[in-house]
Amino acid sequence: MAVQPETQNKGFFNTILDLADDTFTRITAGISAGEFRKMLRGEPPGRPNPRLRPHSDSFLLHIKPSYYHESVTRFTHTFRLGLLSTYLFILETITGAILMIWYAPTPERAYTDMIRLLSNVPLGQFMRDMHRLGAELMVAIVTAHMVRAYLTGSYKPPRQFTWFTGVILLVVTLFLSFSGYLLPWDQLALWAVTIGTSMAEAIPPKVVGDTVNLLARGAPDIGSSGLLRFYLLHVLFLPLILILFFFVHYYKVVLYGISLPAQEEEIGEDSAKKVPADRRVYFLPDVFLDETSFLLSVTAIMVVWVATYFQAPLESIANPQSTPLHTVAPWYFYWLQGLLKISDKFISGVLLPGVLLVLLMGIPYLDPNPSRRIKDRRVAIISGVMAGVVMIIWSYMGTPQYAVQGAPPIEVVQEIMPEEGAGLVREVGYKHLPNGDFLTVDTDTLVRYLGEEDAQKLLDSGVVPMDNIHDEDDPEFAEVMHEFAAGISEQQERDANFNNVYGILHVIQDQPHLKRLDWEINYLSGEGESDKFVRSFWLHEDALYWEQYARRDLSFISRLTEDGGVLGSMKNLLGLE
Amino acid sequence: MHKPLYHYLYIKSPIAKIAIGILALVVTLAVLGGIIVTEVPRMEAQTANWNGRSIEKGAALFASNCAPCHGDHGQGTMNVAPALNSKYWFTHRLDDLGYTGSQKSYVLLTVAAGRPSKVNSQWAQRMATWSRNYGGPLRDDQIDALANYILNWQESAVEQTDEEDPWQPFDGVDTGWAGVRAAEAGITETVGISDTQTVSETAEPRAPEVLFVNMGCSGCHNLNEPQDENTPHLVGPNLGNLAEVAGTKVPGEDAETYVHTSIVAPNDFVNPGYLPNLMPQNFAEQMTPEEINALVTWLLDPNRPQ
Repeated sequence: MAVQPETQNKGFFNTILDLADDTFTRITAGISAGEFRKMLRGEPPGRPNPRLRPHSDSFLLHIKPSYYHESVTRFTHTFRLGLLSTYLFILETITGAILMIWYAPTPERAYTDMIRLLSNVPLGQFMRDMHRLGAELMVAIVTAHMVRAYLTGSYKPPRQFTWFTGVILLVVTLFLSFSGYLLPWDQLALWAVTIGTSMAEAIPPKVVGDTVNLLARGAPDIGSSGLLRFYLLHVLFLPLILILFFFVHYYKVVLYGISLPAQEEEIGEDSAKKVPADRRVYFLPDVFLDETSFLLSVTAIMVVWVATYFQAPLESIANPQSTPLHTVAPWYFYWLQGLLKISDKFISGVLLPGVLLVLLMGIPYLDPNPSRRIKDRRVAIISGVMAGVVMIIWSYMGTPQYAVQGAPPIEVVQEIMPEEGAGLVREVGYKHLPNGDFLTVDTDTLVRYLGEEDAQKLLDSGVVPMDNIHDEDDPEFAEVMHEFAAGISEQQERDANFNNVYGILHVIQDQPHLKRLDWEINYLSGEGESDKFVRSFWLHEDALYWEQYARRDLSFISRLTEDGGVLGSMKNLLGLE
Repeated sequence: MHKPLYHYLYIKSPIAKIAIGILALVVTLAVLGGIIVTEVPRMEAQTANWNGRSIEKGAALFASNCAPCHGDHGQGTMNVAPALNSKYWFTHRLDDLGYTGSQKSYVLLTVAAGRPSKVNSQWAQRMATWSRNYGGPLRDDQIDALANYILNWQESAVEQTDEEDPWQPFDGVDTGWAGVRAAEAGITETVGISDTQTVSETAEPRAPEVLFVNMGCSGCHNLNEPQDENTPHLVGPNLGNLAEVAGTKVPGEDAETYVHTSIVAPNDFVNPGYLPNLMPQNFAEQMTPEEINALVTWLLDPNRPQ
């Protein structure tokens, strides 16, 4: 509009105000400043409702319904799990795109890129941890979303196809998470994915299984081709499939509306789209506020979680020649790993997951019950809960606790200082491990095991028996020795070929800042022959080891003083020094 | 209208919702701010961490691959491999060699590409090529870890006194260290280089178990473990059950001939799965025929003490 005649008509000040209001309305796609103020005050809209305009004017809002039924906006009806899944996907896309900047999918670079990301990229570790946490949460939330839809019977007509696409989205989410697992190229990644892809091998006939396996790995074993394929799956193909099915899924949700609580409508009826005027809750401002404050809260929880209790793991570089003891799948595949332990690869890796998937997709077409009310759906609810319990039992069998146990001395050391990962000793760390030789038994027990003479010889060589290791001296070290002894007695009870066991921990200063830990375990076999097991590990003063779900080691903050405090650190970060 | 029992827990006030959203945003930004402010020390700690972990990895590799020749504590083995935990090695070796790179690149280079045997070297044993790029068994990151471990001796090695320094030059061979010591003592005359490579004719024959270590065999061959597909091996085949397998390798060759040929002409028959040219081909010049025969007999003795 022409400003000059306006100014002549209304005066300068009013023209500016109108222009400002006009700009505001353009930005909000149809909400004027006055209407916005009314929203904040909680006043009802006028008629016709001016708050509907953004739904026709704005691209992002045109896919959202302009109003909902009051009953479905209650938090406990949907827990907003679908919204949260979508949000997590967006979060994964953003953090993932940032991580891609520092990552090259080749075996030569992938792992060193991870180390560089952790040690040389400001916020690199934060981005990686958020991405990992988001991925695991997404699997959990998508599953919970499905469970919720099942329990409320929301898959029933007319929403069968919505459920069907939802199952596909769950599968894609699982594959997305799993394909991302390989990318850090560490031992954890390589072996979890090797086990995963080897299940494809079991598809009959053999030529199909072999071909699928070969296509996934790019070679008989996972190497550079396999890494590239998983990378492309992770960043390109699977997200595209997910986006496609997401839009189908979401379109169906909007088309049929969110199903009402079952009690509020007649059996067999679907009145989700027939919302009486007095039960309408408009997206602007009520649902919008609900969703925004909910997502902001979830983000805050995730950020606090990452800052305190969550760190994405990174183990040793992938080594196809050495399989670490107790390889574990990610927790959401524990059930598969548990199944693999009790049946062969074809049944547990192909047949059962395949049948489960078909059943899951077919639920809306198989369930003849028209009622969505819990009291009418006893069979469905009980079989659903049973399936959940079975999954949990299978998952438990997939955990390392239920693992195939190795030889007792190996298990004792693995418990306290595992080949990969942290373990108590590495968490306690270098500074709590004094040089010397330490026994897991007290003097009396040693005499009983070895006889007076040999026991005295051992003690004279400078070995410290358990009765001389006191909590007051160093509680952390005492805990290590107590755990070592506890592990031994646990295995001793379990295994009849593991008797009169005494362990000796030799801590040797191998180099400056580097200690060698020799875990020596002496025992009598079932036939009474004495045997010895020794396993050596090294521990560096600066090495930090962490568990994925444990308190983050924040001791590095004390380095701030060396860096000249917060100010010096910030200058350093911005390169102002 | 059905409302659940806990409906009074629902937040209905828009102001409360806005307050929750703002509070969450403030918490997010505050924690993010805290993370940003401590990024520099965190990155420093991570850098030190991965260096430390690399040293740990290198220590394990050194113990299984290098310690047989270079010693458990890097003190070296006479006639076989030089000391690495040595003041001389850290302070003067590169100057004496005329090497212009850094200590680390020297280590990386030597571990990766090995050392061809030198005519006038005091070291009888040839350093194998360890990098996969040159036909060895190790990946680049493992070689880097080994170098980090070896260089981690520097801090204590440079504190060594001359007597503590395990670097032991051969009699009559100028390794440069003697020259340095002489120079420090104000003597400028250096000892001439002599050839110690040739086998002394007058000396007593050396015992096979001594030869096995001094000639560097132990660096690549495990004496105790059997040679089969399931047992891990070093660079060369295990020799634990040599008496059983030696006669089956080459048709028409009995065990003694096979082992003898394998020592004096290793490339005549290379076990499948192993690489040619790794084993030195000059053992016939380093040992007398009697010594070689004794070594063959000793290696083929099934009751040889382990």
